[in-house]
Amino acid sequence: MLQKKICMLGGFAVGKTSLVRRFVQSIFSENYLTTVGVKIDKKSVAFPDKTVDLILWDLAGEDDIGSFRVSYVRGATGLVLVADGTRPATLAVALTLRERCEAEFGAMPFILLFNKSDLTDRWAISEGEIDELKQRGWQIYLTSALSGEHVDDAFRQLASMVAN
Amino acid sequence: MVEIARNVDPDNHALYEGVPAADHRLEMLRQLLVGGEISELSRVTHLLDEPEQLATAVGNVLPEATARASHAQLGEALAPAVERAAQRSIQKNPNTLTDILYPVFLPAIRKSIGEKIDQTFQSLNESLRHIFTWHGLKWRFEAWRTGTSFSAVVLKHSLVYRVEHVFLISRASGLLIAHVTSQDATSEDPQLISSMLSAIQDFVKDSFKEKENSGLDTIRFGELRLWSEVGQFATLVAVIRGNPPEELHEVIRDVLLRIHQESSRALERFDGDSSQLPGVETQLQTCVELQHRDSKEGFPWLVLTAVLLVLIVAGGWSFLSWQSAHRWQTYLSRLAAQPGIVISDQEIRGGDFYVAGLRDPLAADPRSLLPGTEVDPARVHSNWQFYQSLEPQFVLKRLSASLAPPDSVRLSVVDGRIVAEGDATTTWIDRARAAAQQLSAGGPVFDISGVRDVSAEERWQAYVSQLETQPGIIVADHNVRDGQFYITGLRDPLAADPRSLLAGTQVDPARVHASWQFYQSLEPQFVLKRLTASLAPPDSVRLSVVNDRIVAAGVATTAWINRARAAAQQLSAGGPVFDISGVRDVSPEERWQAYVSRLEAQPGIVVAQQNVRDGQFYIAGLRDPLAVDPQSLLSGTQVDPARVHASWQFYQSLEPQFVLKRLTASLYPMDKVRLSIVKGRIVAEGEAPDTWIDRARVAARQLSEGGPEFDISKVRDVSPDARAAEHWQYYVSRLEAEPGIIVAQQSARGGDFYISGLRDPLAVDPKALLSGTQVDPARVHSQWQFYQSLDPKFVVKRLTASLSPPKSVRLSIVQGRIVVVGEAPAGWISRARAAADQLSADGVVLDLSQLSELNLAELNQLREAIQTTDIFFSSGRVVPGPEQTPVLDRLADQLKEFAENAHKAGVTARFMLTGHSDTTGRETANASISAARAETVRALLNKRGVTPELLQVRGAGTFEPAVPENENSRTGNSTNRRVSVTVNLE
Repeated sequence: MLQKKICMLGGFAVGKTSLVRRFVQSIFSENYLTTVGVKIDKKSVAFPDKTVDLILWDLAGEDDIGSFRVSYVRGATGLVLVADGTRPATLAVALTLRERCEAEFGAMPFILLFNKSDLTDRWAISEGEIDELKQRGWQIYLTSALSGEHVDDAFRQLASMVAN
Repeated sequence: MVEIARNVDPDNHALYEGVPAADHRLEMLRQLLVGGEISELSRVTHLLDEPEQLATAVGNVLPEATARASHAQLGEALAPAVERAAQRSIQKNPNTLTDILYPVFLPAIRKSIGEKIDQTFQSLNESLRHIFTWHGLKWRFEAWRTGTSFSAVVLKHSLVYRVEHVFLISRASGLLIAHVTSQDATSEDPQLISSMLSAIQDFVKDSFKEKENSGLDTIRFGELRLWSEVGQFATLVAVIRGNPPEELHEVIRDVLLRIHQESSRALERFDGDSSQLPGVETQLQTCVELQHRDSKEGFPWLVLTAVLLVLIVAGGWSFLSWQSAHRWQTYLSRLAAQPGIVISDQEIRGGDFYVAGLRDPLAADPRSLLPGTEVDPARVHSNWQFYQSLEPQFVLKRLSASLAPPDSVRLSVVDGRIVAEGDATTTWIDRARAAAQQLSAGGPVFDISGVRDVSAEERWQAYVSQLETQPGIIVADHNVRDGQFYITGLRDPLAADPRSLLAGTQVDPARVHASWQFYQSLEPQFVLKRLTASLAPPDSVRLSVVNDRIVAAGVATTAWINRARAAAQQLSAGGPVFDISGVRDVSPEERWQAYVSRLEAQPGIVVAQQNVRDGQFYIAGLRDPLAVDPQSLLSGTQVDPARVHASWQFYQSLEPQFVLKRLTASLYPMDKVRLSIVKGRIVAEGEAPDTWIDRARVAARQLSEGGPEFDISKVRDVSPDARAAEHWQYYVSRLEAEPGIIVAQQSARGGDFYISGLRDPLAVDPKALLSGTQVDPARVHSQWQFYQSLDPKFVVKRLTASLSPPKSVRLSIVQGRIVVVGEAPAGWISRARAAADQLSADGVVLDLSQLSELNLAELNQLREAIQTTDIFFSSGRVVPGPEQTPVLDRLADQLKEFAENAHKAGVTARFMLTGHSDTTGRETANASISAARAETVRALLNKRGVTPELLQVRGAGTFEPAVPENENSRTGNSTNRRVSVTVNLE
């Protein structure tokens, strides 16, 4: 049994919860997000030699960075940063959250998801911006919680990053 | 040397006094040899002698010395001093030590006190619970015997818990390190649970800014407790169901400590790969195996709660139950007030309401009465049996439905009686009367006297006018009074019987009061009848009415003429004239001669010899079979056949007319061929088909020598048309041969065929006979009038339909008569007799002489068994007790068998279930309870498969007791609480 604690970070309404709702194993209701501030789900990623259980800590999305419960990130081995591709401001929020985590617990592997890729007519992130981020060596995925596009790929990528 | 020794040890000074003190060489030598040692020695001596110096020196080496010292010895040595020092310090200022120890002891004290308090509460609970129980006494004895406290004993026996899960969770990441579960305990994904648990720990810690290096101690949810013990790198969480003792905390702590001791490094480095910590699960398993044996007693707090709440609950409960019982009673009284509802049983059990009884299907739905009573419908359990209420309004409803009274009749309830008023037909009145009879003793009176029978009067008028047209009947007077019919008049004995005319008019013969005077009608036809009856004229005399005169013509004997003459004289002056002048008187010889000459004139008869001897007549000769029968010629000649002795030889006459007859018979000549005799030759003329011509030709050849010639040369061949016509004729002849079909007219015109006539509806369809006749149906135009054939076959068919004879009766036709053989019930026999009467008027004989009344001996035994069966009831009950079940079962079987056997015999058996009651209570209540009992038994029999239509019910109340009741008896005789059965056959 190989498990890794992963935190999902992102601003308000970027679709983190929707992203995991259809693709992961969950036993807790979304009420936990508003009460405890975190909801825990599990995503098993199978590799030829092993299976990695990603224990996903879906932290309540808040644009107010100050109220972010950084203690929840303790012990995490990876991050999933989620931004809303139709709202460029959410990218900044995700990156700020990552900075806070790294300041507290040191650098850790992460993937960056631009969610809501199905809303092409309202898409607000240019190819150039994405390429620029990729230049930094970041793993970036355009996902859609609606169609499930690239969601599995993203989790698989993260699993391979944290398992080694 | 002595000097040295003296210097080293002052005691040697005295010992070695003898050595000179001041020898400077010696001194010098001393300096040279041991000067260094002496100064070092004096320094050490000085060090030892000076306490301050010594303290400094020891102080320098003390820590090192202490560290190197044997721990046991050191502890032993130090303990008294340390104790004394601590004592001193506390005596001097207790705060110092308290301040020092405060951070160390506080958490421990706090935890310990908490656990102690929990323990105390637990033992208090348990003690309270068991103080008054049997176990309590037993355990008190055990405490006394073993010298332990009572609460400890109670705790020992009553704790019930089970460790269902143990999670070992990494403190750093919240990831699950290991998880064990007890048998058959289930939970969701342990990985998610452990992460969530640590998230919640974080949440609490963050939320309340708790700095303590521990997590949530206890989470409690109903019966489930989560106890967590926090270690350096991992947290152990036990999920416990039930009521664990506080000592369990220590056990869990021990396990966690052991895990930390054994795998401290692996725990510290745990990165999610649980394979790095292989032996951990075995350790955790020991926690799960701790589970306390299950005790049958559960429920802590129960007695405490009961003690505290018993008064409140009891008070509240009694109020609530009083209230609900009150509401229930309100509902019951509402039910009881409903007509058509009888409550037989009701009770309140366990807060639920039970009601049982009878209800008429026409009564209000008991459930519909619930709203407004505040009785919870979900807690009402009702068991209603349907019965038929005998309250007038229900009987009225049921009568309205079953009798379907015509618009002219109005049913109403008057003083508890059901009164029908208006006009109705006899059949309706009969049905109403039957219904009135069926209404049982306890039921209301059904008064139909106010219904006037209208149809009867109309039928009466029709009957009277029919009578008036009858010859020989004179209606003098007729009227209708109170539903009775009165008629007076005159009738000739020979006229139709007025009573026989009644049949078929549906006028009730019992209500007809006729007063007929006989008279002799002088109308010629009656006089003629009377004369025919009294004179019995021979065949040779014919009586007829000519111009109101009665004329006799013919030949008669003298004796008859004399009698006729006397009759003519007797006819009264006002009567018609009887003219016998046309009757000729003949003597026997004369008549014989007349007969013989008639014979001789007959073709085909050759009289060879005849004579008269001694009043006897002898005749001999030849006769052709086709010739007339000489015997038949005798009648009407008034020759006494007894005196005629004839001897005839048969022969084939070759006289043309006989040959013609024979040909006619053999050739079946068609309409259009005419055979005639022309100069001793037989000539055929007309048109015929070739087949006929061929047959005729063969016949012509066959005619023997000496016979007449048969000339068919004048027959024209008309084959196609003729064949069609022949086919048609064949069809017509088939039709004519069919019983129930009478061909009145048929013709062939322009290639089409026309036929008309009468046919019985039961006869074969004329169209169906067309097939196979080669007649083109499209060319057949038929016109049939329906009629009722009197052919016995048809009469039998009609009788079978109208009388519906039982299976035990067989109708057959014997020599034109319809014979009924077998057994039938009396009712059927009388209906058959009425039918026979009607048929005789039409000349059809229905012979009922071989019909006997059904012998019901076999059924009688069963009937006896049924009628001696009683179903008994407890006092006031309308449902028989369980001990009656076998009786009911047997009765149901008997009823079914009886009904079946009766049905086989063509009778319908009906069973009257009569309910009875004892004399206890009011008469009206007894009447209704008796009817209800009968209804219940009907329902129970119906349940056992007895057709309900065969079961009738009535309540006899107390009127038909099985055992006479003693007026003084208060309980009533149980034998009279019963339902009896009577069998009726229809």
